[in-house]
Amino acid sequence: MFGMQSQSDGGSLFSGGGFMPSQATQVNEGGFSSVRKSGTATGLLPLTVKQISQATQKPSDENSNFTIDGVDVNNVTLVGMVFNKEERVTDVSFYLDDGTGRMEVKRWVNDAMESAEMADVQNGSYVRVHGHLRSFQNKKLVNAFSVRPVTDFNEVTFHSLECIFVHLYNMKVQGGATQPNSASPVAKGPPTPFSNTPSHNQFMSPGPVSVGGAKDLNRMVQSIFEEPANLAIEHGVHVDDVVRRLHGFTKKQIMESIAFLINEGYIYSTIDEDHYKSTNG
Amino acid sequence: MDTSNPAVLVNGEVIRRYVGRRVRCVLKVIRGDGGILQGETSDGQQISVKQAPPAISLSQFVEVIGIAENDRTIRAEICTNFGDKFEMSSYNQLCQLANSEHQSLFI
Repeated sequence: MFGMQSQSDGGSLFSGGGFMPSQATQVNEGGFSSVRKSGTATGLLPLTVKQISQATQKPSDENSNFTIDGVDVNNVTLVGMVFNKEERVTDVSFYLDDGTGRMEVKRWVNDAMESAEMADVQNGSYVRVHGHLRSFQNKKLVNAFSVRPVTDFNEVTFHSLECIFVHLYNMKVQGGATQPNSASPVAKGPPTPFSNTPSHNQFMSPGPVSVGGAKDLNRMVQSIFEEPANLAIEHGVHVDDVVRRLHGFTKKQIMESIAFLINEGYIYSTIDEDHYKSTNG
Repeated sequence: MDTSNPAVLVNGEVIRRYVGRRVRCVLKVIRGDGGILQGETSDGQQISVKQAPPAISLSQFVEVIGIAENDRTIRAEICTNFGDKFEMSSYNQLCQLANSEHQSLFI
């Protein structure tokens, strides 16, 4: 899955991940996200050991969640090299070194299949670990539920890049948090790489968000379609009317925004290719 | 947890900033003779690796972790075969990101 997608626009790589914590939960009040209780984040974060070493926890409570970049940390995934592997009857533990630091990983072994999986893991080999970050006697450790040898070493590059991407995403959500458009309808139609409801994707805010400057235009175009007068018109708004309303943008830019809003399920075409209407109407 | 002895991701350009430090670098093997391995970094520069395993045991791409003795030499502690298919251009961009604005995630 590393970089093989041709239009690998960041977020699309991660869309639909059922394990992603709903970032929206922590930032946005209201909307569908309020269905989830805050503090029960069940996400999977790609992290470096260095990032984990800087994770904070409520000092009074050893059972509370760790926080990194303002996000609750539960499940983590790391890629690194195995050292000091020790096999015991009930568990296998080792140190994982990802070049940024070293930390302890413990894998409880209950049956033959699990011990066979751990037998493949050798000192000095690269593995991908999925597990639960916890602290024990003031030491952070990962309780792994999967330890798999890396077979394609692009995964090592990919993991570091993913750490950067997710870090940037979470920082962006914390900083310039965009309030969701209260009128955001749920995306309809077949899923596209962009389509998402907030509970499905950690990496996209539940608004018509795209990258950079296009995002503001998307919002402006959407707000025109959301105007009550335009909601009332049965066949929607003509593209040229939208172009006339927005000074300083070319028709091409506006058509791109419209295409984006269609993909996201915010608007749909009506009587012909030139008329569009809000799905909210 | 121990983050006191990281290995910095480097390419041929960045390694000069970490002479004397622990580095990690993926190289494309050019040749190996007498324990010295010649390899090409992701940004196309040539680097010598001391104490490398014999070239015959290496794949086309190798990750070397060790001390940067100078900006053209690494004394290897660990060499890991990275196979014969490895995207050097992506790795090179990672080296750049990991040593500029996103350094705090790594060292």
